[in-house]
Amino acid sequence: MTDEGNVMITERVHAIWRRELGRDDVAVDDDFFALGGQSVIMARIQRSLIVELGVEVPVDQLFRNPTVASISAYIESSRAATG
Amino acid sequence: MILPGKRVPLPAVPVVHRRFEAHAADTPDATAVHCAGQRLSYRDLNARANQFAHLLVERGHGRGAKVGVCLDYSADMLVAILGTLKAGAAYVPLDPAYPAARLRLLLGQIPQLAAIVAAPATVELVECANAPVIDLAQMSDQLAAMPVVDPDVPVTGEDLCYAVFTSGSTGTPKLTAVRHENWFNLLNWLTFEFGLHRESHNLVVSAFGFDLSQRSLMMPLFCGATQYLMASRNFDAAMAYRMLTEHDIRTVNCASSTLYVLVDWEIASGGNALTRLDYMLFGGEPLHVERVLEWARAEGNTCTLLHQYGVAECADVATSYDLADYRSDEHDVAPVGRPGYNTDIHILDEQLRGVRTGKPGEICIAGRSVGAGYLNGSGPESARFTTIQVHGAPVRIYRTGDRGYVTETGQLIVLGRMDTQVKVRGMRIDPHEIERALGRLAGVRQAAVVVSPDGSGDCELTAFLVPTGDPLADNDVRARLLETLPRNMVPARFRTIARLPLTPHGKVDRAALLDELRTGVPAR
Repeated sequence: MTDEGNVMITERVHAIWRRELGRDDVAVDDDFFALGGQSVIMARIQRSLIVELGVEVPVDQLFRNPTVASISAYIESSRAATG
Repeated sequence: MILPGKRVPLPAVPVVHRRFEAHAADTPDATAVHCAGQRLSYRDLNARANQFAHLLVERGHGRGAKVGVCLDYSADMLVAILGTLKAGAAYVPLDPAYPAARLRLLLGQIPQLAAIVAAPATVELVECANAPVIDLAQMSDQLAAMPVVDPDVPVTGEDLCYAVFTSGSTGTPKLTAVRHENWFNLLNWLTFEFGLHRESHNLVVSAFGFDLSQRSLMMPLFCGATQYLMASRNFDAAMAYRMLTEHDIRTVNCASSTLYVLVDWEIASGGNALTRLDYMLFGGEPLHVERVLEWARAEGNTCTLLHQYGVAECADVATSYDLADYRSDEHDVAPVGRPGYNTDIHILDEQLRGVRTGKPGEICIAGRSVGAGYLNGSGPESARFTTIQVHGAPVRIYRTGDRGYVTETGQLIVLGRMDTQVKVRGMRIDPHEIERALGRLAGVRQAAVVVSPDGSGDCELTAFLVPTGDPLADNDVRARLLETLPRNMVPARFRTIARLPLTPHGKVDRAALLDELRTGVPAR
């Protein structure tokens, strides 16, 4: 795991969130639900993560990590764990 | 206008778990439930449910008792549900995905709450209640020592089987109860009308607290098939689609908004897990038929799409329509079809007189679907259960508050609500309840919640807030609301406003607020 890799994942996740939430004012520490996110948007984010990053993130993990920063860290660590 | 359902006799004792017990006797080795790699046969599920029932009876939680079930989807959830029914009690589903404050509120609304079933993952959520908590993990030794035979409890069709919460106009959720005969009638209709059988394996994709989830949970056990459950607290489209791909699942029950998500997933991934299903049963909110029609009509799609209508107060489903019959040149909206067995639809005017074919009126439900009513108090909603005279005989009806009409060909069309209630992603919501929750937040003087179409044609909630002092930050209000309300009840948008516009009668002028949303020009 490198800082550089993490930054790249964060940027791509950030772009997915902005697109699916339909707003530009998303900070990496903003809560998904406080931004007006809901389950249908969550499903689209899950789909985008599969297509664009090649990872299937369980929705329960998306709920437990409801910010760009925390879900990016989760993706990075699960990638490191599975090699 | 009366649209009658087919008359089909029910057994003398229409009790839902008797059907399950008959399958446990006939095909004991068949798989009853499959969840996260764990499988239980009909024999084992029946034995464990019996042990749980004996424990409840021993503790005095038998006929007439209410048992809260706060569990994640698991084989244990079916043990708790079936065990509760076998003891003669009714269960109340409590979704562990709800905020703890919401669960506390709901628990306080359950009369004769005898016990709450929980697991290590949920026990913390319900400890606050003034009823004993049965932690299945902690109780495993006592349960294992209980008899495995069917308990001898004389349950009748009149006994309550479950009660679910729906949003209430007074700010308190209403707990609406269903009797065994209501539920049996529904499951019997679905089984025989659509030819469900021992291979009609089902996948549950809806949240536990929904009325439709109760039907989805019991449907395969009623026809002797396997129930597939996802080990996920929240709807997980990727997991659902993978399970549909990997297992021989034949039926899915869901809200229309979930149908779109699954269909979009199938189209995006190029799979065929949905098209090879036998049935998708969906409804619970207005259908945007154009979002699924192309997929539904594609070559090779053998899945029958049943567009259904009903209310929690009347065992969830009252009518059904095969979407293959839909012709867009006949109707703008897809009909919801004809009533189920022993269920009648009446279209009535304000004086509760029948209107003619083709004329709109209030959709009222009569027959064996009509449930037992609300368990928590007599709010204004209770008057919706009433009696009318039909050809000189009294008929008990439930006034749904939905507007609709019956076509010349005998199909029911739903037009919308007669009040401000709304469905958001399948969940029935009264905006007044959200307004009350907003009004309780510090910094909010007054609130009004309105419903408007979002970009994709679904419903969206907008809250107009009058602050007591400083302007309110949207994200802060949302975060505080999420502590007390389920996510579907939290508005998508917030607008701060100096004062709420009023109608000449002094009521909040919702039309003016909607105009402001549409035009961007502040209401007066």
